[in-house]
Amino acid sequence: MGREKEKEKPSEKALNLLRSRFSDPNFIFKPLSDSPDSNYSKLKFIISTSVTEACNNSILLLGARGSGKVAVLELVLSDLLQQYPEVISVIRLNGLLHSDDNCAIKEIARQLCMEHQLLFSKVASFDDNSQFMIAMLRECGLAHKTIIFVLDEFDFFAQGKQRLLYSLLDAMQSVNSQAVVIGVSCRLDVDQLLEKRVRSRFSHRKLLFLSPSKEDTERFMEHILSLPVDSSIPHNYAAEFNGRLKKIFSDERFKELINTYLSFNFTIGHLVRFLFQAVSYMDLDVGFLSLDNFKTALSSNQRQPKLECIRDCSILELYMLVCMKRLEVKEQNSYNFYSVMTEYKSIHDSSQTSDNYAANVCLRAFEHLLQRQLISFIDNRLQNQSVEFRPVKLLISSAELHQGMKSYHQCPAILLKLMDR
Amino acid sequence: MAVEGSPLVTRRATRSYAASSSGVESTKPTESYKPTLNDLGFGKQPFSSEDLFSRFPGRRTQILEFLRFLGPLNSPLFPILVYGAPSTGKTSVTLQVFRHLNRPFVYSSCITCYSPRILFESILNQLLFHRKDSGHSYSSVKRCERPSDFVNYLREALEGVISNLKGNSGKSNSKTSGRPDGTMVYLVFDNLECVRDWDKSSTILPFLFNLYDILKMPEVGLIFISNTSPDTYYLNVGYVEPVPLYFPNYTEDDFRHIFMVNQANRKLYASFLDVVLRPFCRVTRRVDELAAALSSLFEKYCEPLSDKQVTPNEEMKRKLFSQIRPHIASALNETFQVQSQPETNKETKKTNSSRMSGILENFDKIDFHMSTSAKYLLISAFLASRNPATLDASLFDSTGVSESRKRKRKASEKSMDQKEMAEQELLMKGPGTFPLERLLAIFQCITSLAEDSLDEEESHEPTTEGGSRGLMSDVLLQLSSLCNANFIIKGGSSPLEGSTRYRTAVSEDLALKVARSLKFPLSKYLYRR
Repeated sequence: MGREKEKEKPSEKALNLLRSRFSDPNFIFKPLSDSPDSNYSKLKFIISTSVTEACNNSILLLGARGSGKVAVLELVLSDLLQQYPEVISVIRLNGLLHSDDNCAIKEIARQLCMEHQLLFSKVASFDDNSQFMIAMLRECGLAHKTIIFVLDEFDFFAQGKQRLLYSLLDAMQSVNSQAVVIGVSCRLDVDQLLEKRVRSRFSHRKLLFLSPSKEDTERFMEHILSLPVDSSIPHNYAAEFNGRLKKIFSDERFKELINTYLSFNFTIGHLVRFLFQAVSYMDLDVGFLSLDNFKTALSSNQRQPKLECIRDCSILELYMLVCMKRLEVKEQNSYNFYSVMTEYKSIHDSSQTSDNYAANVCLRAFEHLLQRQLISFIDNRLQNQSVEFRPVKLLISSAELHQGMKSYHQCPAILLKLMDR
Repeated sequence: MAVEGSPLVTRRATRSYAASSSGVESTKPTESYKPTLNDLGFGKQPFSSEDLFSRFPGRRTQILEFLRFLGPLNSPLFPILVYGAPSTGKTSVTLQVFRHLNRPFVYSSCITCYSPRILFESILNQLLFHRKDSGHSYSSVKRCERPSDFVNYLREALEGVISNLKGNSGKSNSKTSGRPDGTMVYLVFDNLECVRDWDKSSTILPFLFNLYDILKMPEVGLIFISNTSPDTYYLNVGYVEPVPLYFPNYTEDDFRHIFMVNQANRKLYASFLDVVLRPFCRVTRRVDELAAALSSLFEKYCEPLSDKQVTPNEEMKRKLFSQIRPHIASALNETFQVQSQPETNKETKKTNSSRMSGILENFDKIDFHMSTSAKYLLISAFLASRNPATLDASLFDSTGVSESRKRKRKASEKSMDQKEMAEQELLMKGPGTFPLERLLAIFQCITSLAEDSLDEEESHEPTTEGGSRGLMSDVLLQLSSLCNANFIIKGGSSPLEGSTRYRTAVSEDLALKVARSLKFPLSKYLYRR
């Protein structure tokens, strides 16, 4: 009923705009790329010179996950594709998908065929495909076309025999080929993983992607959160939205909050995710971002999953955990359900409690703990041994358990006492 | 356009039916049904958000948060990880939220899709509106085993669906035609924790978590549902974590609201819950287990009442409480149990249990039927598992009774420390394994002994040849059926001997019960340290 009306709401429009910005890496990384010493400019220079000078090249883009390596690369590539439309063809591979040599070379052949309107044969062997790739490299070199290979998650290609990397880089050694290999990885030591024969063929050009400086972060947040005043969004609304945003940015508490967040998640990708959360907490009826939105987003990021797990347990499950803790204190380093049960029984013998349950009920509680990953089997190989006999270990520290039980609603006092003794 | 009659929808409806427990009209799958775009929606009339909140008592904040993350129509979404303990309503809230929003989504559970290939193909089948049927011998639309193929096909399929959705959204009023709203497609991966146990989990998990970055399609929303918290997924590969959405366990008040839904006599049920809910919450805090325990207990609670519509007063409550109290105590110590034939006598009672050991009632009799020779076989397997093989000769030599005194003396010589250590070790090791020959030898010994006692003659001559003739006929058959029933577990063959080794999972209680039913003096043969 109200959906048609809601569509006209400016706040909803604004929210949609902001959210589509978050998922658009081109928009996010545009402002960070204009300065001459940015990675964008460097990368663009390197690739465009190798395109114009018709030479082979190889680069590594290194940086933490979410630091925008691929996004910047995509920006550069889209610019270059506009600049030299006929000359460049891009082959994209991902280590998560194509770490298998066979599969990778097939994918290269497939993309080359797509690019050049050739017929791709699914049944072609590894040998056929690699011959095809080498032939294509030569042909493209003769026609003065550059093939750019983008290898995302480069460290996965460095596993195994590195046949793909070798054949690719070896083919580039010949004079008449013209290709650029761009490796993207979050392992800074990825060039150490390469075999000698591969490493010697690789140019050791590296671009490091660092976390943004404080000024950059602020500039960036303003860029991404402020609304355009000259769009379909009503002008008054956008102006007020931006005004309030400025006020939040200048707030000391906000700066502190962002610093806390960035102290453990320092990349642009994490920041964008954080802003996404904050923006989704925005109240559509009010229609403006508030400091509370950011606070909620921060607190939902500072979760302690193990404590949550303990708070979800029933009292009997807590008893089981405490028994295991006591066994560990007694320096019994491996224990299974039955040894926990003897401890549980001895607790009840020494101090009469109301929570004395039968073994099968305890076993069920024990299995719940296994399911929640508060405990786990020490050895995963003994599959045919039944659950009760397999040795387990605690996956929480005693401090965590203590803290969890203190924050537990209606935790029996005796349990806390048993923990200490 | 009616959307009733799609089998896809029926399946979803059954999943949510259990949780929402509100009447969902039954749908009839038609033979020649062709899935269309409409099947990506939930397929039922969408309902208001108030309806949604009332369906899930105690989940208001979680639903609100979920709706906020999903955002208004056509707004992109970062991957979300919905996590929380089992039976906290993660899956049903997710599905019902999509019903409320009437947006297209693809649901696949990693329990039913138990391998990467099946998971990939099930997603593609749903996206490409393909239904397995006899026409193409139940094959999937695409054969795809590798993530790389999957990404290519998925991108293709999603592009098709999204352009289709975009074409539709302009045309007609979406409400009347039953079409899903918006141009976003959501992929829901349920039971993600199962993926960790897959063979290729080390590549599939990072792949799934990075799928959003790999696809680079803002029109696709990914939702992961998991029993375990995000910290159990840390891998050495790394990924930008999905946005967490936590479903905490229900509190006692929430449980009260949940169980009060759809009760005929609310007052009576409330007084029942006052009595039983607290003790049961101490044992387990899972709705499914509580519901199973409470439903049978409520019947007992109502037994003294002639009129079930009565509003209980204080005195009646007290009377009912004293009636139910012993039942509560026994029910607390039972796990899930179903009576197969409620009208017949106690002997036919069956426990419905996942495991044979440990789950037993307080009856002295065993509660299942078993042939005499199978019982003997079980006992001998139990003995073979518990006793050290070196003692067999002394235990079963002639009658075996005379040895018991010697053993006791031996045990008393040990110091207490050593004894404790040995006990611990025994607990840790669990039942021992034994070869088939040993089992058969013990079986022969105890059956011959049993026949001796039947004849009431104390003969020192072991009459194995004659005694076992009747019982030996199908021992191996019995053994394999015991193996199938999980009483005896077939282990791997030992590298030295090369023969298969067995092990029993039978608890001592059960073994004693079986022995008692045969009047077999089991404790005499059991070696105790």
